[in-house]
Amino acid sequence: MHNKHFLNVNPVVVLLINLVAPTMYIFTKASFLQFFLLGFVTVLLALMGYFRRMFVLLGIYAVFYGIFEACTAAGYYSGWMSYLIIMIEFVPCLALASVLISKYSSSELLSALEGVHLPRTVVVATTITLKYIPTFRREFGYIKESMRLRGIPFSIRNPIRSFKFFIVPQLFRCAALTEEVTAAGLVKGINAPMRRSSYYSQKFRLSDSLILAVFAGGLMFGFVF
Amino acid sequence: MVENDAVLEAVDLGFTYPESDEGISHINFKLYKGEVVLLTGDSGSGKSTLLKCLNGLIPSVTEGKLEGHLYAGGKDLAEMKMHERNRIFGSVFQNPRTQFFTENTTAELVFTLENYGFSKEDMQKKLDKLTKEFGLEGLLNRNIHTLSSGERQKVALACALSMDQMILLFDEPSANLDYGSAMRLGEIIRELKKRKITVIVADHRFYYLKDIIDKVLLMKNGQLEVYNSEEDFKSSGYDTRSFDLFGIETVSHTEHKWCECVTEVENVSYKDILKDVSLQLCKGEITALIGSNGVGKTTLARLLCGSIKPGKGHISNTGMPFYIMQDPDYQLFGTSSENELLMVRKDPGAVDGVLDSLGLTKQKNSHPFDLSGGQKQRLQIGMAILCDRDLIIFDEPTSGLDSKSMERVSRRISSLRDKASILVISHDYEFIRRVADRVVYLDDGRIKSSFELNESTVENLNSAFKEMQDKAQNLNLEE
Repeated sequence: MHNKHFLNVNPVVVLLINLVAPTMYIFTKASFLQFFLLGFVTVLLALMGYFRRMFVLLGIYAVFYGIFEACTAAGYYSGWMSYLIIMIEFVPCLALASVLISKYSSSELLSALEGVHLPRTVVVATTITLKYIPTFRREFGYIKESMRLRGIPFSIRNPIRSFKFFIVPQLFRCAALTEEVTAAGLVKGINAPMRRSSYYSQKFRLSDSLILAVFAGGLMFGFVF
Repeated sequence: MVENDAVLEAVDLGFTYPESDEGISHINFKLYKGEVVLLTGDSGSGKSTLLKCLNGLIPSVTEGKLEGHLYAGGKDLAEMKMHERNRIFGSVFQNPRTQFFTENTTAELVFTLENYGFSKEDMQKKLDKLTKEFGLEGLLNRNIHTLSSGERQKVALACALSMDQMILLFDEPSANLDYGSAMRLGEIIRELKKRKITVIVADHRFYYLKDIIDKVLLMKNGQLEVYNSEEDFKSSGYDTRSFDLFGIETVSHTEHKWCECVTEVENVSYKDILKDVSLQLCKGEITALIGSNGVGKTTLARLLCGSIKPGKGHISNTGMPFYIMQDPDYQLFGTSSENELLMVRKDPGAVDGVLDSLGLTKQKNSHPFDLSGGQKQRLQIGMAILCDRDLIIFDEPTSGLDSKSMERVSRRISSLRDKASILVISHDYEFIRRVADRVVYLDDGRIKSSFELNESTVENLNSAFKEMQDKAQNLNLEE
């Protein structure tokens, strides 16, 4: 499922980095961490062969950073700029999260989550949530299209009314889907008491350890200096 | 003591839903190895309840009072946990949307094995075996959403048998398959029978099981009648005409004399799905759009609705069409049945009349989502009756309906003929015979044939259906 020329990173590593990186803003200096994360994630994306995603990340980062710098240079400051700072700090994490969702199948994620010894219920709930993001996006599309065909406007002028039309069918769809998903999951043994194995389980390679070591090293550097 | 040679035996099985009289009772049957069993009956007869008792969703998920016993291979299923039952029963569900847990075919094929903690080597062996048995070579490592309905069915089937289950349960497989794929499914079931797997198919339509059925479980108001052969079943008094699909007799329609064109499609192409399609739709006429799944029927409907724009060519409409989707849940926005219809036309008198004619007066104040599937569909037809659009499009209006309901829907759709032009997308042969004035056969993105449907052209329709069957070639099981 991956190209041999590029680094195949164990999903546990990506997951771990994604969990740890954002929380580190509490402990280390943001001015250092944001640059470290940007550099780290850029290199990681390149090694994994996600060049398009890497350029998108750099582009978005450059735009946000440019706006911020331009405003500061002009002596302008406003409340909305704190959102800009948050975005600058978190864009690398978001890029990595997008890789987590798109590269790894729900099976791989499920195994990765089991690997870090989370309880089964949490693992199952997380997998279903991840699986259903694209499904819900499709469902939203159908409902919006259906509203257009019925001649029911989705307008900002009447937000509560629009919201009601939009959200009520969605909720009912969710309920129906939940029932169907539960049924499908149960007959596929999702609650079988044995420890789950994985077809895609990957050994923890030297490269995985190196990635984690560089990541940890960077964080340490942030602490010390 | 229960005889061990029966693969599955029900002894006085019964189930009642809480706070309701509905349910099933006194169910007794014995099924043997390699039997193909049709489980049928009208909507609400208890078919789904019995199926849930078999796959274990009753009592695992659905609450209620379960009585009697079910034995599989001599063991009482009541003493088995859900995950133990799954080793005996494989299930193929109706809805492809929720059938699968992953997006990748290979991941899906090993999903159950992973849940049961198989080692990687064992999984690889199983996967190789399934690939060989079901001819999945070209389907491994594919995105499930990009498969055709027939291919998806094949993957679902392989998944359901990944644990070497003895009994396979199908829940309305024909509802989401076109005619050709359904006929192929019939052949696959014949193959499974040779492999000594007991196959239970719960379905309203059974044309694709002709000459394969060993036993029929017919549900009637929660009670079971068992027929030990197809012939016995045919003489049961239940409507079995659809066994001989092409032989059905329908009343020929009164020929319409006038034509007021409301929609004109001129040389329309869209991506590589539709090529050079031209079509005229007239008031007073019901046009059936037929063709295999994935051939571009829904794309054409979406073009007519302006949801997508043609790459080439031109579509002229007298106004926005009214589009009735296959799944009513996407289309209901009202707070009550009455309110739903009032959103279409603000005329309480007319709305009351329509509710009455559709037998929905009692449900006037019910929330649309509280209605049953059939009632929701009637409400949709009510919307079509009240709307003032010149073109009404129905997408698979009869999928999953029993023959009585299908006849009712046919009558209601026929009655719309005079107020608008009707386009029905359908692969339901019987329904097409009942309602269509004209048939447009779409094949490979082009209109292959278009003809008025009458006694002299029925053969054209039949050959289109036979052609669709031949087209579904790649669904064969490898020996």
